[in-house]
Amino acid sequence: MSAFTLPSASLLAQSVLSGIFVGALYGLLGLGLSLSWGLLRLINLAHFAFAFLAAYLCFQLASLGVDPLLTLVGIVPAFFALGAGLHWLMARFAITPFNSLLLTFGLMGIVEAAIQSIWTADFRKLESVYASQKFKVGALFVPVPELITLVLAVAFAAGVWAVLRFSDLGKALRAAAEDGPIAAAFGVHRQRNALLLAGTCSALVSIAGVCLALTFTLAPSQMYAWIGVVFAAVMLGGLGSAIGPLVAGTLIGVSEAVTMAVTAPSWAPIVSFTLLIVVLVLRPGKAA
Amino acid sequence: MRTPLAIVGVAVAMAFVPRLGLPAFYDSLLYLMLHWIVLATSWNILSGYTGYFSFGHGAFFGAGLYTTSTLLARFEWPFLWTLPVAAAVAAVLGTALGAVVFRVRSVRGELFALLTLAITFVVGTIVGNTPIDGGQGVSLTAVPVPQVGPTQSSTFYLLALAAATLTLLVAWAITVSRFGAGLFAIHDDEDAAEVIGVPTYRYKLTALAISCALAGAAGGIHALFLSYVTVGEVFTITVPLTVVLMSVLGGTRHWAGPAIGAVAITGLLYSFTAADNAIAGKAATGAILIAAILFMPDGILPRLQRAWRRVVPARARPAAVDASAPAAPAPRPAAPPAAAGDVVLRVTGLHKRFKGVRALAGVAVEVRRGEILGLIGPNGSGKSTFINVVSGHFAPTAGEIVFEGVALGSRAAHRIAAAGIARTYQIPRPFAHRSVLDNVALAAMFGGGIRSPREARDEAMRWLEFTGLADKADARPDDLNLHQRKFLELARALASRPRLVLLDEVLCGLTPAEIDGAVALIRRIRDQGATIVFVEHVMRAVLALSDRVVVFHHGELLAEGRAAEVMQRADVMTAYLGQAHA
Amino acid sequence: MLEVDELQVWHGAAPALWGVSLSLGAGELLSVVGPNGAGKTTLINALCGIQPARAGRIVLDGRDITHLAPHLFCAAGIAVVPEGRRLFTEMTVLENLELGSIVPAAKAQRRESLAGVLELFPALREKLASPAGELSGGQQQMVAIARALMARPRLLLLDEPSLGLSPLIVRDMFDAVRSIHALGVSVLLVEQNVAMAMALADRAYVLEEGRIVAAGVPDELLARPEIQRAYLGA
Repeated sequence: MSAFTLPSASLLAQSVLSGIFVGALYGLLGLGLSLSWGLLRLINLAHFAFAFLAAYLCFQLASLGVDPLLTLVGIVPAFFALGAGLHWLMARFAITPFNSLLLTFGLMGIVEAAIQSIWTADFRKLESVYASQKFKVGALFVPVPELITLVLAVAFAAGVWAVLRFSDLGKALRAAAEDGPIAAAFGVHRQRNALLLAGTCSALVSIAGVCLALTFTLAPSQMYAWIGVVFAAVMLGGLGSAIGPLVAGTLIGVSEAVTMAVTAPSWAPIVSFTLLIVVLVLRPGKAA
Repeated sequence: MRTPLAIVGVAVAMAFVPRLGLPAFYDSLLYLMLHWIVLATSWNILSGYTGYFSFGHGAFFGAGLYTTSTLLARFEWPFLWTLPVAAAVAAVLGTALGAVVFRVRSVRGELFALLTLAITFVVGTIVGNTPIDGGQGVSLTAVPVPQVGPTQSSTFYLLALAAATLTLLVAWAITVSRFGAGLFAIHDDEDAAEVIGVPTYRYKLTALAISCALAGAAGGIHALFLSYVTVGEVFTITVPLTVVLMSVLGGTRHWAGPAIGAVAITGLLYSFTAADNAIAGKAATGAILIAAILFMPDGILPRLQRAWRRVVPARARPAAVDASAPAAPAPRPAAPPAAAGDVVLRVTGLHKRFKGVRALAGVAVEVRRGEILGLIGPNGSGKSTFINVVSGHFAPTAGEIVFEGVALGSRAAHRIAAAGIARTYQIPRPFAHRSVLDNVALAAMFGGGIRSPREARDEAMRWLEFTGLADKADARPDDLNLHQRKFLELARALASRPRLVLLDEVLCGLTPAEIDGAVALIRRIRDQGATIVFVEHVMRAVLALSDRVVVFHHGELLAEGRAAEVMQRADVMTAYLGQAHA
Repeated sequence: MLEVDELQVWHGAAPALWGVSLSLGAGELLSVVGPNGAGKTTLINALCGIQPARAGRIVLDGRDITHLAPHLFCAAGIAVVPEGRRLFTEMTVLENLELGSIVPAAKAQRRESLAGVLELFPALREKLASPAGELSGGQQQMVAIARALMARPRLLLLDEPSLGLSPLIVRDMFDAVRSIHALGVSVLLVEQNVAMAMALADRAYVLEEGRIVAAGVPDELLARPEIQRAYLGA
């Protein structure tokens, strides 16, 4: 068992900062998943596949000279359509929440195979103009790609929260999730809203994918590594919440980073999963 | 007895395969097929049978695998002796987990799946960070492989064959046993199962333990097969998702379903690998899973069974001997034989709150042996809640319930059922995937304490004849109309030979002729010695049946006495019809 | 303004309403009474689009709405106060009311409608920001009625509004429905509380086991053996 080492204050602060950054990515990845699970009652494992697909597409376009952030212009609408299409399929066959888990897992396998056949299993790193840029704030280093991720994560979480909270569409979505038939009796067009929401969730996760490409090295098998921790963030944050996954993700990211700074990095996964287990056992009502 | 003999026979025949001298590739392929048969079938014992889909099979498999690797590498145990220990460690881990998780009522479905997935990663991290593995993996290349078969690879093949045979026999045995019937009932409707007497917590824990033990044994064998084990290969999402895929594809409700899925998927993946196309294999696996969920959500096996049944029609059941008014079998005798007129149920100060709503506000009532007591009152006055609390579906907030001198309090519902109380549900809750006969047999087996499934079915048949459903014995509850489903509820309630029967709006929705038939039936039940408490709105039936009625109003009792008198009272008429009729 | 003609509605594999016919004039308050399981809620569900009709017709102001998609019934002018309230308990009272007026025509008048319902139910003023699930039964019933009024319906459907409420609250509900009726809204009231239903109604129907067995003016119906039998036995 590796010894506990107490890091210096600045190292600790840097760890906390990097935990915040990775937590922001957890939050952005979890945003669409949380909305889909909470409001549509569908658990979409294909989310992770879409994120990686978007990441690889960004990587490909960037290697052709396109600015990574500009790739969003094409990627976001494409994934919106993809998400809406997938939802249409699942609704057509009246898939139960549990079966949606299985079906999207199958989709994940297909996408992983496709990615591997096009880009091989080798690690790929997006070389962008942002990758080497960083700010120095006091004693802390703030890398630009991570900063972009944080900004996007906060912006979209806040934006989605505002729409859900204040707009009629948001109220319609929340009402339909609670009592579909009565919502429809008051004029809520459930099918159309559901397609809109499903498309939006996929669009959001494609943005997360671009952030992923900017900040991490890509490999097809890496897809699965994120599932556990993002699910933990989603459940801790509360299903159907926009801000929840971001807050929970940050908490998880920071505790992981601190754990890594204090002991060996390989202990990090235990943090998120133990939190998840504890939440499920002590307050399952919050998650469901 | 045919099935287990067939399984063993095939196994013995397959034991001769190594003598054929096939290239080692086939030994490995067959080994993997058998290995996955064990994993998928063992997973199915918990998840397929009870519906608690676990994503944590990797954790138990890994626990067994690392138990063996530790015993071999560190303590130099002989290989075969490590296998039972591996099974035991996995079973203990599973039971400890289940003991906590199964207590939490709302962790079912997707939540249970995620929680078990989390366990996998936690165990994996612990294993990887402690001397068990330490992150470098454990090498077992120096460990001698016992001489069970002519070659090394055939040894593993034979071990896996033995494990697979054992697993299939266990899976089959469970299906035909009382234990298995209880598991399937839990799958269909856990709360209703608990109420008819299935000890759900104990059964789920047992199924989990068996499932883990078998997975642990498979892990132990696999450790030496791999000869170099790493955390990254074992504690991942691959094992749980593959077993889910195999079982779902083959059919989760049948003992042989997962095995079929295992053989199909392993064969498919291997043919891709052999053709040097592992990537396409992964894609094909995903595509098959999607197609299976969309078009065959029940799996291959049920489809085949349905096709078989169309070709080979079911054997006709022998007709009932006496179709008219058979006598009702007598209820089980009470522990101290009691005289008619004794108080059989005494309720005092019963309160029940739901999140601020006062459903019962201090109800006190006595029910005497052999009487038929009617509970009437407007909608929402607490009648159904009363039944739910007495039968154990809900725990009371305050108050005492004493049945035949024994306080029921907050006993688990299955213990209340075993004590001699049975109830019907206002909206029938039959076990949708079991036949009508099995629905009733379940109640006989659990609430009624009959241990042999065959005897239970005979008993069930008697009750089906009593309620006029004998010719529907093999039908599914969905095929029955409302009237028949209500009578199925009744038969199920009666099959445990209760001394107190609680009926919740049995007559609602029936035509006047059907009501008359039902009233006659209920009278016959009382004539055989049962005490009956029933909730009803159909006044005609209340007047005809009840010896006494109590009137519920806003969670309290408003009046009590003989039906005809009570209904004439001014305050009762006001409660029902308002001022206009006082 | 509402004509229901030989309506047949099935519940799963069995019929729940067999050829029900009734008519409601503009501005009328019609009561439908009957025992449990008679099909009263099924009738309401069919009229607001929650359950589809198997056969028969529903005609509103001359327009056949029988096979309209569920979300279009509200725009056609029908709003429902469902049995058991069925509020959106996780949303605030105000949000519930806003949801009631989500169809464009009602949304345009949201501000006036809100002022109107708060005048009708002043007790809700302080509860606007509370989650609907935290209110008492009586308050929830008020919110449910208010939510339906926010849709500015021509026809208001009420399904057992007195269910599970204490007599005092029922009296308040009674007064509220009377006020609404006085404003000119046509009302179809389904009730097990015969007294309340008859006191309010211009005309009434008796529904038993999926069929209409009696129709007429309240005073004359109350004297009839059908009602006596249904509620007090032979």
